[in-house]
Amino acid sequence: MKKLIYLVVLVLFSGHFVLAQEDEQTEKKVDKPVRSPWESGTLVNHHTSVTQYKNTLEMVISHRFGTIENGISDVFGIMAPGANIRIGFNYSVLDDLVVGFGTNSQKKYQDFQAKYTLFKQTRENTIPVSLTFYGNAAIDGREDAVFGIDYEFSDRMSYFSEVIVGRKVNDWLSVQASANFTHYNSVDSLLDNDKIGIGLGGRIKFSPQSSLTLELGVPLKIESISQHTSFTNHPKPHFSIGYEVSTSTHAFQIFLTNGMGILPQELYMHNLSEFDSESIRFGFNITRLWNF
Amino acid sequence: MRKIRLSLALSCSLIVLSLVLMSFVQEKKPWDIPAKYQSMDNPQGADDAEMIKVGKINYSRHCKSCHGNMGKGDGPKARSIDVDLGDFTTADFQAQKDGVIYFQSFIGRDEMPNFEKKIPDDEDRWAIVTYIRTLKK
Repeated sequence: MKKLIYLVVLVLFSGHFVLAQEDEQTEKKVDKPVRSPWESGTLVNHHTSVTQYKNTLEMVISHRFGTIENGISDVFGIMAPGANIRIGFNYSVLDDLVVGFGTNSQKKYQDFQAKYTLFKQTRENTIPVSLTFYGNAAIDGREDAVFGIDYEFSDRMSYFSEVIVGRKVNDWLSVQASANFTHYNSVDSLLDNDKIGIGLGGRIKFSPQSSLTLELGVPLKIESISQHTSFTNHPKPHFSIGYEVSTSTHAFQIFLTNGMGILPQELYMHNLSEFDSESIRFGFNITRLWNF
Repeated sequence: MRKIRLSLALSCSLIVLSLVLMSFVQEKKPWDIPAKYQSMDNPQGADDAEMIKVGKINYSRHCKSCHGNMGKGDGPKARSIDVDLGDFTTADFQAQKDGVIYFQSFIGRDEMPNFEKKIPDDEDRWAIVTYIRTLKK
């Protein structure tokens, strides 16, 4: 027994294990994509050209509070009912291809999305811009009665597609512009099923980790695709101004916006709020990355 | 009987002492750097302003929260970490070869994460090393 105890003590006093990892280094040559044109793949409601490296899982939590019109009584909308929340997950299948899923409290949207950056702006400007394609399909998850008589499952579907052109102008300024198309299978009789819109976005970086973000989405009145002779309840432009800070694993965005929607099709088709003191609200997005 | 009790008490004390000593050893254990990294040199110049700028941005994003603004190991997350985070401002740290700092920074060990997937670009990695060199006192 004594010998056994001494042996245990000896083992505990003896050496320890060290694990060292080695990995092969590969050098990239020639013209490379610009560094961090945006802090994350999301700029408030729109997407950017940024896609995370292959095999990265991204969780995105988006929240839009109530409007600020009630002032301090509901802490400028933060405690107000009627908030909108989205929880989503994106996975980088390739360095430039991301697929994702999200669930929303508004209209119980369940959305499926994909984003592909065809080419990226390079440091030597041999390619001056990034070109990105984004698309989603969303299922409105509310009860059948919402869609009126002759309900079919396809009534629940809406689609959004977008082409985004972005450029990192310099170390502190990045801009992007997009053209997008929204389609709802089922809309109110006075509305159009389709909407074309223009999006603009910008980031002004004022410290290594912090930025000011700006975003504007404008639904266009295009008679050639309208099903009516006049536009009724045409959606209002949505505008956002915010602050963003990023770390190794997170991006935090907080902003003022006039749109309650989080899914872009909801904003381009149904936003009736102006950017004024009665309609603006606080919102935030948080992203978290896991590398595999 | 008395001898057995004494032996048992002595052995238990030795076990406790060994555990305490081992914890100290784990905190300051030397790095086992592979030969490949021992012979690596930073391809960037020490006064490369562009790379220092890139390195500072990446350091702020990936390193500052634990290692602190000046690399003294006093970042906000440092309190929750048991191991020695090192002090990048000291002569001892700066005397290390470039490849050693590279290995420590991107391969890591224990509570020091591996950053190879998060910072896959080699130029960006060396830029962080270049920036860390500017933190010396």
